[in-house]
Amino acid sequence: MTDLIFIAIAIAFFVVAIAYTHGCEKLRRGSDD
Amino acid sequence: MTVQAIILLLLYFGVLLLITKPLGAYMARVFEGERTFLHGALGWLERGTYRALGVDPNENMKWTTYSVAMLMFSLATLIFSYVALRLQGVLPLNPQHFGARQMPEHLAFNTAVSFTTNTNWQSYSPDVTLSYFSNMVALAIHNWASAAVGIAIAIALIRGFARKNANGIGNFWADVVRCTLYVLLPMCLVGGVLFVAMGVPQNFDPYTVVTTLEGGKQTIALGPVASQEIIKQLGTNGGGFFNANSAHPFENPSALSNLFTLIIIWTIPASITHTFGKMVGNAKQGWAIFGAMAALALAGMLVCISAEQAGTPHLDAAHIQTAATALQPGGNMEGKEVRFGIAPSALFATVTTGASCGAVNSMHDSYTPIGGLVPLFNMLTGEVIFGGVGAGLYGMLMFAVLAVFIAGLMVGRTPEYIGKKIEKFEVQMAMLATLVLAASVLVFTALSSTIDLPKEGALAALNTWPGSAYGGSDSIYGAATGNLNNSGAHGFSEIFYTYASATGNNGSAFAGITANTPWYNTTIGLAMLIGRFLMIVPLLAMAGALAKKSQVAASSGTFPTDTPTFAGLLVGVVLIVGALTYFPGLSLGPVVEHYQMLALATH
Repeated sequence: MTDLIFIAIAIAFFVVAIAYTHGCEKLRRGSDD
Repeated sequence: MTVQAIILLLLYFGVLLLITKPLGAYMARVFEGERTFLHGALGWLERGTYRALGVDPNENMKWTTYSVAMLMFSLATLIFSYVALRLQGVLPLNPQHFGARQMPEHLAFNTAVSFTTNTNWQSYSPDVTLSYFSNMVALAIHNWASAAVGIAIAIALIRGFARKNANGIGNFWADVVRCTLYVLLPMCLVGGVLFVAMGVPQNFDPYTVVTTLEGGKQTIALGPVASQEIIKQLGTNGGGFFNANSAHPFENPSALSNLFTLIIIWTIPASITHTFGKMVGNAKQGWAIFGAMAALALAGMLVCISAEQAGTPHLDAAHIQTAATALQPGGNMEGKEVRFGIAPSALFATVTTGASCGAVNSMHDSYTPIGGLVPLFNMLTGEVIFGGVGAGLYGMLMFAVLAVFIAGLMVGRTPEYIGKKIEKFEVQMAMLATLVLAASVLVFTALSSTIDLPKEGALAALNTWPGSAYGGSDSIYGAATGNLNNSGAHGFSEIFYTYASATGNNGSAFAGITANTPWYNTTIGLAMLIGRFLMIVPLLAMAGALAKKSQVAASSGTFPTDTPTFAGLLVGVVLIVGALTYFPGLSLGPVVEHYQMLALATH
């Protein structure tokens, strides 16, 4: 059970990092306009 | 400064200068996809790897694709290592029969994150925790992969500056494969054999028990050390095969291996500045970056070596000889390897923290306050003093963007760098990367300095050191500060250093902190993830935005960035950003401690 919690923490971080990637891209497109 | 220190510094920078140009030019050829002298021997392996992975190396990735590929690769290898570490008890190459008991969940999380992020922070003692399989597979894969990823990111950012009106910044998979095959592999083969020749072991034998001269029994840990040692240093990883790291005679047997190690740590970080110059078509741009890094490095080295050589007033008051003589090194020898003395130890401390290596040959916790401040400050700059492989260059380029922006504000020059206009988005990304690092260091330091976990109940377990895994008894701590060897300013420095090291992906420790608890392992793990990936993403975004831009011709309003003036400005920006962000923290730690030391000596 604790193993799954730590694996979930890792996956959650990388999901946030991918969302962060798309957030930065959105900001870049906004600055292009 | 002793004569030994001066000779060592001259020799060290001389060798680095000799290496930088040829290796930098070679790496530029590798990452431009040009044929090198190694393609005849390794080309088939490169092509076979692409076929096995189903990768088209000519696919030019947009920055978002590049970033997601890097993130997914890192996540997959992180989970692989976590599982392998937890299952080490049923996996092969485990003559000491280590299992999950030595590697609880929070420690496996911390360790897998640590090696994935090129940090190699070790909350555990490797000699009594890790099987050979864990060392050679679960962790060593990251020594290669995290180094290759760092270099790939730097190359992608260089392409952002070098390309004009381009949609892509290269291919992540091709960059990682080429780096591994043509840069890391040949250098590790040669360096590993040289380490063996210097006396570093390479075997799969069980630990040897010997009888000492006093008649006692001593267990001597062995293993495949040389193959780990070379990638540990070359890839600025830093995780030791033994708990004593590079102070252990099997990791660092002699003064020669010590110098070799120092050179290996900065070989790629120094050379990649020339790769940058070559790829953007102006070698002087690379030398300006090299000059700024070298100036910061030299200043830190001189301060650290001088502070350690001066010793402390307490030693003087105790009538201990602190001046160097022909027979003893003088100065502050506490925590230093007697085989190396002060200059090679203090130089190692500044090199390993300038780079994001984290290998140590002396205990930084035992340095004088000012001597210890230098490694701490090196990490707080964001590891740009040559820095980690790739990471040092992309961190310094982030500061270069800020420097031209500040120059634009101060003297009315157009913010341009390598012919690219630096506009709102690039500055936003550079600031985002800077602020993410600062937030991670300061917030986690503040939390760990103040949080008081209950001594009983479910939450008490968050700060429990699992001593029973090593044959002792579990210890219960209340406040997170209960894990420190020291109270007051030095205790604060131990926590501050920990999160600076984790966020900067360095991995060295002040060592006066018991970090193998769920609280520290989890928060340090998060700091390592934030420091690595939340910094890389905005820099890749910057690369994508820059690659799309056209090149503007230099005009009378352009601030030249290939001159010593720019290198000086860059040094100033690194120091000002570092000082303004972290001065309060440094004041509470090493600065207070320095004045306490002086006050205690006079009262």
